[in-house]
Amino acid sequence: MALLSRNADRIYWAARYLERAEDTARLVQEFGELFDDMPSDDPNENAFRWNPLLAVVGDRTFLETQASERDVVMALVCDPESTSSVAGCVARARANLRTTREVLPREAWHTVNDLSMFVAADAARAENRRFRGRLLGRVANDSRRLDGILNSSMSRDAAWQMWRMGRYLERADMTTRVVGVRAAVLMAQAAQPAAQGDALRYDEVQWMGVLRSLSALQMYQRSTRGAIEASSVVRFLLFDSDFPRSVRFCLDEIDRSLDQLTRADSVRASVAEARDALISTMATTTDGADLDQAMDWVQSLIGRVNGAIADRYLIIAAD
Amino acid sequence: MVVDELLTDEGTPRPAAAALWELLEQLGPDEIEARQQATELDILTMGITFTVYSDGENIDRAWPFDVVPRIIPGDEWNRVQLGLHQRLRAVNMFIDDLYNDQRIIEAGVFPAELLEDSVNFRPECVGARPKFGVWAHISGSDLVRDDDGTFYVLEDNLRVPSGVSYVLENRAVTKRAFPELFGQSQIRPVDSYTDELNKVLSSLAPDGVDEPTIVVLTPGIFNSAYFEHSFLAERMGAELVEGGDLVVGDDDCVYMHTVEGRERVHVVYRRIDDLFLDPEVFRPDSLLGVAGLMRAWKAGNVGIANAPGVGVADDKCVYAWIPDIIRFYLGEEPKIANVPTYRCMYEDEREYVLAHLDELVMKPANESGGYGITIGSQATEEELTACADAILADPRNWVAQPIIDLSTVPTLIDGELVFRHVDLRPFILTGQHSYVTAGGLTRVALTEGSLIVNSSQGGGSKDTWIVDSPGGWHATPGVMSQSQSESQPSVGFDQGGVA
Repeated sequence: MALLSRNADRIYWAARYLERAEDTARLVQEFGELFDDMPSDDPNENAFRWNPLLAVVGDRTFLETQASERDVVMALVCDPESTSSVAGCVARARANLRTTREVLPREAWHTVNDLSMFVAADAARAENRRFRGRLLGRVANDSRRLDGILNSSMSRDAAWQMWRMGRYLERADMTTRVVGVRAAVLMAQAAQPAAQGDALRYDEVQWMGVLRSLSALQMYQRSTRGAIEASSVVRFLLFDSDFPRSVRFCLDEIDRSLDQLTRADSVRASVAEARDALISTMATTTDGADLDQAMDWVQSLIGRVNGAIADRYLIIAAD
Repeated sequence: MVVDELLTDEGTPRPAAAALWELLEQLGPDEIEARQQATELDILTMGITFTVYSDGENIDRAWPFDVVPRIIPGDEWNRVQLGLHQRLRAVNMFIDDLYNDQRIIEAGVFPAELLEDSVNFRPECVGARPKFGVWAHISGSDLVRDDDGTFYVLEDNLRVPSGVSYVLENRAVTKRAFPELFGQSQIRPVDSYTDELNKVLSSLAPDGVDEPTIVVLTPGIFNSAYFEHSFLAERMGAELVEGGDLVVGDDDCVYMHTVEGRERVHVVYRRIDDLFLDPEVFRPDSLLGVAGLMRAWKAGNVGIANAPGVGVADDKCVYAWIPDIIRFYLGEEPKIANVPTYRCMYEDEREYVLAHLDELVMKPANESGGYGITIGSQATEEELTACADAILADPRNWVAQPIIDLSTVPTLIDGELVFRHVDLRPFILTGQHSYVTAGGLTRVALTEGSLIVNSSQGGGSKDTWIVDSPGGWHATPGVMSQSQSESQPSVGFDQGGVA
């Protein structure tokens, strides 16, 4: 039986929201731990260290604002209304999957429903560091558990392909955002000559944090066998063809799903465009402005892939 | 005087309930409570919900469930099943007749003026000939057991009866709660319902279609039974659709919008009311239905269950004629009785009702879910006067029945087993063949002494076991020494009353 367009839409978005919840959870958790390793006596620096996270999920204007740890945790974890908070994304994933229960394996729904009840009841407690770790850990674990359930018990039908495309598109988007904001922060630090010495001192630690927040540290180290160094980190996160969170890998996987779907030409063209753009950024330097701009560009092309998927598969064409 | 389903009037378990009762005694109240809580957790995790409309908001609530099952002996259930088969056969012949030859009116058995008055008669369906002459494919007749120990049909729900998903889910959680009993007792399984439903729906496909595409048409997530719509689609491998997912083409065939383009739909199990089905024919402002669906149905290009117009046989007035309807079409006596019903359209019956308001339950013909009902013994003087006025203003719209002393089942309330009133809704499938669920949905009034079991009004539910064991219900059904006017005692166990 062919997949209803409405169900395609809900599954695709459930996958995007769940991936966003997982990625955001990891981002908040890993950066919290990173800051613990970077003690600072400078209250000015402390006031600005959390706001890049807001910029990752929002836009660059957040880099200019002051945001406390509490503000950031409220916005990225607790806020049930926001489409970029963990709580908001889990609730939306559940709402979408609730209307597609006949399409996905039962256990998949149970997992998301259970997670959603936990998050809805307890997300507000995430201000507490220790509880936050538990909450965010569970979100990431359940998201991966769901992948496992689907992987082992779902037919490779159109619904499965929608799920995969939603996952990989959101993941590609998140990776470019994290890399882009890191670049923007580097630029900001470069503009503060006084702080430059410190910033360089922590450069390696910072990039380690980026890798961790994308679950990439260990695979990066195995793949490069070298020190953590900006340009090779960026290359790994953007172009590595074997690492499942690199932008290149995500685009390739979307292509693989398109192979299994009908009349995919328009979407395939948009993926090719994004991949070409990505490859053309390979020459980009990693010292800020260039990289920041390049990531913006790739992100807008990933947005176009999303638009092409929606036009082709998710929206019911007018008669 | 009230009958209990599990215990005799001496407080000893009925034969079919002996194994359960022995286990409950062994477990004791704390462990029973623990198992109750475990089932409530299961219900939450599994997302078994129903939606209530309250304070302008739709709230998704966990399905209310009591862990102590209701038990009916197999041989008794066999007789009930025969009665339900018979009843639905006759009801379907009646509906088919009303929309075609109207023999029953010609014969003077069913009054023409009732049909003229019926708000559920759909002139748009006149002349339609659904397959097998069946209109009510899925029905849920509410049964009650009176103080004489007999099952009566209280009403027939023919339009879009709901609750069957909870029959299956109640069983799933009860199996986890009492695994000890399922291995050793002969409890009839309930899981085959969705397969049987699938078969009936498949049989409604246009001729020549071997592997029909079946959809469940839901009004959407705000409907109180959305969980069930989703559940049934899932269990049948059918597609759950909303009106916007479907379109009727120029060829008068029904299609759904898929990622592959339009795909033909052969059978629609609709869970929306007639009036919202097709804005071309019924309410033009309906956004829930599909324009052209009636055209497609009448052209024989799609099967619709239940058939549009089926509600004509589902009001509380027609109910009063069902025994006559069974006699007229089948030439048989009803195998399962109606509750005695006074029809206010007849002067003598109306006079009796008006003179005995405080002993009767007054029901308007076209309300469901327990709304609009006046229970004479619990109504104030003003309410009774208002009810009498309503009857006099529109006598054809009213029937009245004696107050039934619904049977009870021990129910866990605040850690104690106490008697609570129950009814039973079995589900009957009718197509080429017919099928009755093993048991059905037992609804329980959780408030002491209350007879209102509707889940929309604070009722709960129980698993229903049809148990095949020697001994049956009881040679002479016992009557418990409890009375409704007295405060109900808690249930004492055999030895020492641990409850």
